[in-house]
Amino acid sequence: MFLQLTLSGVSQGALYALVALSLTVIYRSTSIVNFGHGDFVMAGAFLAYVLVIGLGVAYLPASIIAIVAMFLLGVAFSRGLIRPIRGGPHIGLALMSIAFGFTLRGIAATVWGRDVLPMPRVFNIDPIIIGPVLITGNALFTIGIVAVLLAAFFTLLHLTDIGKMVQAVHQSERGARLIGINVGRFHDFSWGVGAALGAVGGILIAPVSLLHPDLGAGFLIKGFAAMTLGGFGSLGGAVVAGLLLGVVEQYAGAYIDTAMIDITPYLLIIIVLAVRPLGLFGRKVVVKV
Amino acid sequence: MKTGVAKLGLFAAIAFLVAGPVLAGETTGLTDNSIKIGVMGPFSGNASSYSKAEIGLMAYFKMVNDEGGVAGRKLVAVPADTACDPAKGIAAAKKLIYQDKVFMLQGNSCSGVAVAIKREVVKAGLPWIVAHAVSDTISTPTVKNIFHGVPTGNTNGEAMAAFVLSKPGTKRVAIVEHPNDWAHSYTNPARAYLKAHGVDPVLDLTMERGATDATAQVLKLRQAKPDFIIAALYEAETAIFLRDMKKYGLNTPVMGTAGTDLQDTLKRVGDLDTVKNYHVLHPYVDNLDGPRMKKWSKMIHKYYPKQDLTNFSYISIGSGIALVKALKAVGPDLTRSKLIAALDNIRGLHTGVLSAPITWTPKDHRGVKGSAVAGFVDGKPTILKAWGTPYE
Repeated sequence: MFLQLTLSGVSQGALYALVALSLTVIYRSTSIVNFGHGDFVMAGAFLAYVLVIGLGVAYLPASIIAIVAMFLLGVAFSRGLIRPIRGGPHIGLALMSIAFGFTLRGIAATVWGRDVLPMPRVFNIDPIIIGPVLITGNALFTIGIVAVLLAAFFTLLHLTDIGKMVQAVHQSERGARLIGINVGRFHDFSWGVGAALGAVGGILIAPVSLLHPDLGAGFLIKGFAAMTLGGFGSLGGAVVAGLLLGVVEQYAGAYIDTAMIDITPYLLIIIVLAVRPLGLFGRKVVVKV
Repeated sequence: MKTGVAKLGLFAAIAFLVAGPVLAGETTGLTDNSIKIGVMGPFSGNASSYSKAEIGLMAYFKMVNDEGGVAGRKLVAVPADTACDPAKGIAAAKKLIYQDKVFMLQGNSCSGVAVAIKREVVKAGLPWIVAHAVSDTISTPTVKNIFHGVPTGNTNGEAMAAFVLSKPGTKRVAIVEHPNDWAHSYTNPARAYLKAHGVDPVLDLTMERGATDATAQVLKLRQAKPDFIIAALYEAETAIFLRDMKKYGLNTPVMGTAGTDLQDTLKRVGDLDTVKNYHVLHPYVDNLDGPRMKKWSKMIHKYYPKQDLTNFSYISIGSGIALVKALKAVGPDLTRSKLIAALDNIRGLHTGVLSAPITWTPKDHRGVKGSAVAGFVDGKPTILKAWGTPYE
C-alpha cells in the first residue's frame, strides 16, 4: 500500500507541479501572480476538447493547436489588458487576472453549461503493473512532461541569455530598458508562455479530473500551495513541493483519515513557513550594487 | 342585558372580521373557468437545469387543459423565478400569493428555497404541493397545507440502504461521502436504516468536492473488503471514484444517490466495465428512454419543443397527476379547504411516472415512500425493485 500511495501521490503531485511551474514562470518574468491561471488551464483543456471531440482532430495536433492558441491568448491578454494598467497598483493587476479568468469560465459555462464532460486519455493503454504497484500510461506521461519542462526552463533561465534577461526584468524594469530590453514585448511573450503552459496542464489534467468550467479552480489553489511551499520564484522548488503535496495527501488519507486529504498540505505549508519563511528552496535576493 | 347584547354584537363583528378574509381566501385565484397555480422554480442562475422539473409540470397542466381541464376549469400556471436563492424565493412566493393572488402553489426545486418560504406559505394557508425539493423539514412535522409529492431525503437514504441489504449475504457496508449536508441527507437516514437492521458501516470515508483522485479511499476499501459501498458523491467525483475502483481492481457493488444518472455516468467514465457494478436511485417506472416514459417525453416536447430532456424533466409530473385527481374528487364547488381535504385522501396513487405510489393522510404529508434503483443487468440499464428483482 505504501508504494502504491507514493506512486499515486507522485502522479497527482506532478499535476500540481505543472500548475506551480507555469505560475512560477509568469511570476519570474513579470513579477505578477496570475490569479486567473486556473482558468487558463481550463480554457486550454476545453480548446483541446473542441478539437478532439468536436472536430475529430488527433490528440497530438489538437494539443499543439490548443497550446499555440493559448499562447496567442496570453499575448493578447498582456498586450490588451495588462500593459495599460502596468504602472498601477499590484492589486489592479491581480484583479485583472481574476476578472479575465472568470470571463473565460463564464464563456465555458455559457457554451457547455455546468455539465461534467469526459475527456479522452492522452494514452489509452492498460495500466502497468509491477508487483503490488500499478501506474497508468497517463501518469507516466505527466511525470515525464513535468521533468522535461523543468529541465527546459531550468536550462533556459540559468544557462542562456534569455535567463539573464528574465533576471534583469525581474530585478528592475527600468534597468532592463536601459540595457535595451523591450520590456513590454518581453512581458507579452512571458504571458503567452504562461498561458501555453496552462494549456499543457489542462490537456493533462482534464482526463484525470474530467472537464467542467470550474476545473482549474482546485488546481490553482494546489499550484499556489506548491509555489509557496517550494519558495516563490524557484522552479525546482515548485516542482518538488508539488510532488510533496501529492504524496502527503495520499499518506494522510490512507494512514490518518480521508477527511485529512485536503487539510494536510496546508498544515504542511504552515509548518514549513514557520520554520523557513522563504519556503523550502526560496532564497533571499541579494542585489549587488 | 344591554351589556350582553353589546358583547354578542362585538363578538359577531370580530368573528366576521376574522372569518371574512379566510372565506374570501378560500376561493382566491379561482374563476368559473380557471385555477391560478403559482409554479416557483429556478428558471435562471446556476441551478436553472433543475427548472426542467417545473417545465415538465407545466407541460402536464397544458395537456390536462387540452383534454378539457378539470371540472370545467383550466389550470393556469403562473411561473415565478427563485434562481435557487432563498431571498429571491421569498420574494417570488409573496408576489404569487399577494400580488398574483394564486389559488395554490406547486413546484419548487431547491430545498433551501422551499425551507425559506415555508413560513410564508403556512401563514397564507394556501395549498402547496412540493414537486421537486427533497428536504424532509419542508413537510415534516406535518403542516396542514404543505404536501410533498416526491421522495424526500429520508426516503431516498432508506431506499439506498434497503437496496444494499436486499443483496443476499450483505453484512459489511462501507460509506464514502462528501463532507456536506447534501451527502448527509442521504447517508444519515441510510445509516439509521442499516443500524435498525443490525448493520454498522465497516468504514466511513470522505471524499472532498473537487477531488481528482480516490486512491487512498479505494485502497482502504480494498483492505476493509465491504460487500457493498454507499457513495454519496457528486457527478464528477462519482466518475473519479468508479474509475479508481476499476484501476485498483475493486469490484464491490456501489449504491449512488439520485444526484447522479446511470447513463450519464457511463458516458463520463467511457466504458461499461467501470460502471457495471454501479447503481443509482431512480424515481421513475422505466429508463428515461424506455417505453413507459415515452408518453411523458412526447408530452413535454409537444408543449416545449426545444426542451432537452434530462433526469429532472419528469420528477414533478407525478404530483401534478395527484393534484388533478384531488381536483376531480372535489368537483366544481372548489375551495382551498376542500382541496386540502381531497389531497389528504389520496391513497396509493400509481402515477405511471414515479416508481412509488403517492399516499397522503392528514397525519403524514410525505407522499412518496420509496424509490426504484437503476443498474446494469447483462450490460443493459435496468430498473430494479430490489437486488436481482426487476421493477414491474
